[in-house]
Amino acid sequence: MRRKLLAAAAVSVLALVAGCTSTTGPHAAAAPAFRAPVPAGVTDPAQVPSAAAAADNSCDALASLRPKGPLPTPGHMPAGTPMAAIFQRGHLTVGVDQNTYLFGYRDAVSGQVVGFDIDIAKLIAKAIFGDDSPKVVKLVAITSAQRIPFIQNGTVDIVSDSMTINCERKQQVQFSTDYFDAGQKILVNKGSPYHTIDDLAGKKVCSAAGTTSIINIATRPSHPIPVSVNDWTDCLVMLQQGQVQAVSTDDSILAGLAAQDPTVEVVGPRFTDEPHGLAIKKSSTPFVEFVNGVLDRARADGTWARLYDKWLGGPAPAPPAAKYSD
Amino acid sequence: MALLSPTRTAARTPTGRGAVLATRLTTRTGSTPGRLTVLMLAVAALAIAAGLAAVIGLAHRSSEVDSIITRSGPLTLDAQELYRSLSDADAIAASAFLSNGQEPAALRQRYESDIAAASAALTDATAGDPGQRAVQEIAAQLPVYTGLVETARTYNRQNLPVGAAYLREASALMRNDLLVAAERLYDAETARFESSVGAASGFPWLAAGLAVLTLAGLGYAQVYLTRRTNRLLNLGLVGATAMGLAALIWLGASWLGVRGELHGAQRDGSDQIQLLAQARIDALQARADEALTLVARGNGASFDTDYGTMLTDLIGKDGDGGLLHRAAAGATDPAVRAAVNAGTGAAKSWKSTHQRVHGADAAGDYSAAVELTIGDSPTSAANTFNKLDKDLATGIAATSAQLDAHARSAAGALTAAPIGLAALTLLLLVGVVTGFQQRLAEYR
Repeated sequence: MRRKLLAAAAVSVLALVAGCTSTTGPHAAAAPAFRAPVPAGVTDPAQVPSAAAAADNSCDALASLRPKGPLPTPGHMPAGTPMAAIFQRGHLTVGVDQNTYLFGYRDAVSGQVVGFDIDIAKLIAKAIFGDDSPKVVKLVAITSAQRIPFIQNGTVDIVSDSMTINCERKQQVQFSTDYFDAGQKILVNKGSPYHTIDDLAGKKVCSAAGTTSIINIATRPSHPIPVSVNDWTDCLVMLQQGQVQAVSTDDSILAGLAAQDPTVEVVGPRFTDEPHGLAIKKSSTPFVEFVNGVLDRARADGTWARLYDKWLGGPAPAPPAAKYSD
Repeated sequence: MALLSPTRTAARTPTGRGAVLATRLTTRTGSTPGRLTVLMLAVAALAIAAGLAAVIGLAHRSSEVDSIITRSGPLTLDAQELYRSLSDADAIAASAFLSNGQEPAALRQRYESDIAAASAALTDATAGDPGQRAVQEIAAQLPVYTGLVETARTYNRQNLPVGAAYLREASALMRNDLLVAAERLYDAETARFESSVGAASGFPWLAAGLAVLTLAGLGYAQVYLTRRTNRLLNLGLVGATAMGLAALIWLGASWLGVRGELHGAQRDGSDQIQLLAQARIDALQARADEALTLVARGNGASFDTDYGTMLTDLIGKDGDGGLLHRAAAGATDPAVRAAVNAGTGAAKSWKSTHQRVHGADAAGDYSAAVELTIGDSPTSAANTFNKLDKDLATGIAATSAQLDAHARSAAGALTAAPIGLAALTLLLLVGVVTGFQQRLAEYR
């Protein structure tokens, strides 16, 4: 009798438990689901530009134009050159990014766009005007995809925006010598199971539209799913919100993202080489030579190392060596 | 004079039972008293049906007008306020972001009062129809939006550029989801208002038709009695006819009165409110576009294009067209027209300031662009926009008052009508019964 009672009690307890678990299901499903917010301009999966063009090795991409003689004195640009025209106009117009932390970003306190790329551009202005105040350096914030068209249509004189030198782009614009060596890595949440790009098979990986990085992601044999956004910081937002599993681009840019959030880290080996150059209009040959002269001087007199220390923390490595086509 | 036979008259009444009864009575009693009784019952039944139809119709009409005053009118305004406060929050959050690091306390307060106003308007909108998906969506996404804005703010205070990315995401959520839902809600409330106006100003076909039939019945009865009895007038029936005519006129007059007032409410009120509300919404979106162009720098081109579209919508390409032009042309109240004209001036001056903002930004002079956008100078975009917004708010308040006044007059025109019509119907019945009883008594 007693045993029967116990059994009955056990059965009823089990039934209660079962009842509880089964009733929570439909109740939870009753709330209407709404779309989670995503950054403006996100494309998932990304539209990937032709990969064949990026893999174009038909040229010696890094070879630029050798400076002709010593740099002219600031304020005395040789007549008829693009530098003389810029001096006449009174300001140098530079295409920059304002969303790449440490390289080109808007300082919320001063309201100015600052960073390593910005300081490099200011070296050019200083060599033309003898001054690098906002009066003579007009920083125009542009997207990655706008870099080449803005150079071609003359909206900006020069682009200083972590731009990778490659043969496809070299057909449309000219590049200075390599002023910063980066390589593509991945940024993931700390403690994630992903250590290299090849661990991300079938996972979503974020990058900015119109960059070489998005092509590099799409062409990996592991086939991660590329997701494109407008700005690098949009990628960090998506990683923080769990909408992508990783961000992949130049390690320099990733370091800038990692510096904004202590719970993410840059991992893995570099799986590409991304030499950064300043982009200039195809027809402005004397300006390219002039810019290379300025960069050579910065490498030699320690200015480059000082800027590296200032933005990226020392000790600075040796600056990338200049390579010329002659 | 072609007259209906009593049987056919009875058969046309909607009260089927009366028709059956009438048929039975005529077949059983071919006598004159029998016919008179049938005629009396038929006319009385028609009169009762007409009176009931009129009183019920008026009660229905009255409740529609009440619902315009107490529900659909205010709910339309609530839906509009919801949209306005959400859109203003978007514009203010973006403006505040342009100030270096520390946002001005005034902008912070305005953002917070916008969110509070949106929540309050949402609660009121819930009273309209809580099951609406649009209401649920806004209720669900508004906290997500404010969360994103706070995240953006926190990062911005730490001088980290990811803050701007959170602000852009918040704005995308606002524009692609929240404002779309708020617009759906506004459209639904406007449709509800229009249908209330339609229902309240429709012609009372049933009551008027029955009243005409009653009068025809009375006329027939009088002709019949005159032929049978050679007496020209039956005072009871003449009185009943007079009551019936009075009731028909009252019914028509109340319909005309309500229709006139409600059409006035549309012409002087809701039609213009819709134009002005749309103008205000466009202005707010343009303001958010302007600030976001600078926040999103580089990716601002789409925002700038959108600003241009909004301003063209507002004042046309040359500054003398668009919604504001239509609102000024359609304004029936001089105060509203003055407000709209002042708003047009402000919009023009804002547009020219914006061109300077755009020029400064394109030339890389970011600080000048920001100063022109959020600065204190009288021609700054912030001040010209605020003036436009205030003018439009004044116009909307004045037209709302017009709408309310018309709707209240319509309600006033309806207060006495049901009692009056019920009383006239009763008097008509008394007349019918007295008139017939007088004749029937002669046969006893």
